[in-house]
Amino acid sequence: MSVYITASGHFLPGPAISNDEMEPLLGLVHGKPSRLKRRILQSNGIHTRHYAIDAKHNTLFSNAGMAARAAEHCLTGSFIGKRQIKMLSAATSQGDVVLPGFGSMLQAELGLSDIELHSSHGICSGSMMALKAAFTNLKAGEQPNALVVASELTSRLFKASRYEAAGTELDFNAEFLRWMLSDGAGALLLETRARGQCFRIDWIRSFSHADAYPVCMSVGYPTDSDHSKSWQDYATYAQAEAAGALLIRQDVRLLENIVKLGVDGYLRLIAEGRVQPDKIDHVLCHYSSHYFRGKIFDMLQRAGVGIAEQKWYSNLYSRGNTGCASIFIMLDEFRRTQSYKTGDTIICMVPESGRFNNAYMQLTVVEA
Amino acid sequence: MTEQVLSPQGQQCLQALMRVWFEFERQLGRVPLLQRLERGQFSKADYCQLLQHLRQQVIEGSRWISRCASSFERDYSDVRSTIIGHAREEHRDYEMLERDYVAAGGSLSDIQNAPRNIGTEALHGFLMYRASQPNPVDLIGAMWIIEGLGQKMANDWAAKIDKASGGDGSYTRFMRYHGANDDDHMQKLYQLIDRLCHSPAQLSSIVRTARVTARLYCLQLEEVEHDY
Repeated sequence: MSVYITASGHFLPGPAISNDEMEPLLGLVHGKPSRLKRRILQSNGIHTRHYAIDAKHNTLFSNAGMAARAAEHCLTGSFIGKRQIKMLSAATSQGDVVLPGFGSMLQAELGLSDIELHSSHGICSGSMMALKAAFTNLKAGEQPNALVVASELTSRLFKASRYEAAGTELDFNAEFLRWMLSDGAGALLLETRARGQCFRIDWIRSFSHADAYPVCMSVGYPTDSDHSKSWQDYATYAQAEAAGALLIRQDVRLLENIVKLGVDGYLRLIAEGRVQPDKIDHVLCHYSSHYFRGKIFDMLQRAGVGIAEQKWYSNLYSRGNTGCASIFIMLDEFRRTQSYKTGDTIICMVPESGRFNNAYMQLTVVEA
Repeated sequence: MTEQVLSPQGQQCLQALMRVWFEFERQLGRVPLLQRLERGQFSKADYCQLLQHLRQQVIEGSRWISRCASSFERDYSDVRSTIIGHAREEHRDYEMLERDYVAAGGSLSDIQNAPRNIGTEALHGFLMYRASQPNPVDLIGAMWIIEGLGQKMANDWAAKIDKASGGDGSYTRFMRYHGANDDDHMQKLYQLIDRLCHSPAQLSSIVRTARVTARLYCLQLEEVEHDY
């Protein structure tokens, strides 16, 4: 049984926010402008992004609300209505509430009845895991269709007040992601039948390396910690926050590993015969930062499996890095705006730095 | 960076060696000693112990590479020249390592009299055996791992060791030194891959030797903390 992506959608909250508009919106920490902002923005190359909060730090859209809007957008372009949806597979790194699962909240927001539900939890690769769960469910003949939605609302973590609550000093690792991540949601509709020109999913594979590498991106550990204590081990949440345990952090020293592991997975897939580099027509890679794009290029080139630059597509620079939603938002914009033809091969790559999980997918453009 | 290896067979060999290296880095990431270094829980005494064990491999390392050179027959005199050059450059590196050990507070006689751990024993035994075979093409795989380690020490371990143990670089000279000549060494290695890897059989023997070297090197590091 083949599985096809027959529709896609996205939702980006509010207007596009330029680099200069970021800090006024997120707030000055301790009343002072950031000294790292320019450097980090220069390296990630992002020009505009979207936030679901306003400058007064009101939340204008909930995470489930954004996810629902992306899903509605997706269904607007599909051949089936809400009542016919049989499965919902949802991903986010942090829902609006700790419990229940994000999928449940999204289902209610969307008003989907009697569906089979899956929630995937992780960071950037969460969407690919949600997609794989839906893909295999359809492949096994369990359901004829599935709506897969990924959404992120990280800006709530970036309010100046959050950093101020964690003490006087701002460490680089805690500030880094403030200038990287933003909000948005993407959705894909999977069906076991093709509709018009659509994308067949040939395979989805991921390789996780958490056993061999330390944590690289996290929420839940206090500042300068040996990771023996988590945010839940404090007497009160106020104490956890004061210790910096609720800040989102990136251990930037470890980040370079993502390039090697990304290339490693790609070489494995070549050795398995799944990827044939000369047959690839389009590459959609969720590199989190422009900085890594060059590194990935170089290493693939050196291994003799380079992919010509004009085959790479990304909307990172204009839509921002929206974590697990990025790859869906990218695929949706690719479908709508880029030129491709029946028979084309598309490779999607999502390297996640959380604790190093790399996901890959191959699509073929088909015509029903 | 340009494409360094040109022949299709060499290209495939390089891809396979890259995968071996990535796998090796994951193996290293599971070694308790290196996990502690990663977390910054690493003392000067830990470092001295590490050097004490590394020294035995470094001093033997100069022997297998010399023997490897002499095992290449007349049709490979160009290869022999390259490898002899490499051996000459590095065959007294252990003296730098010993100076670091003393600078970090160790005593020279301790490091000179330390025995080889069982990982070093196995690694040395394997490399000397392979180096004694006629035209040991597969040893490119061992060079790939050892050369990669030099880079890793220079770019990764040395700074972490200094940071964790409060050093200023004065006792991590051996590890840092390897960073300096890297590009040149890697360039020579790419040329060797192109020169020597011409068949699928050669490719698989190179990859196999790289994998064995990587595994035994890890064993050596695992044994650093194994008192017997």
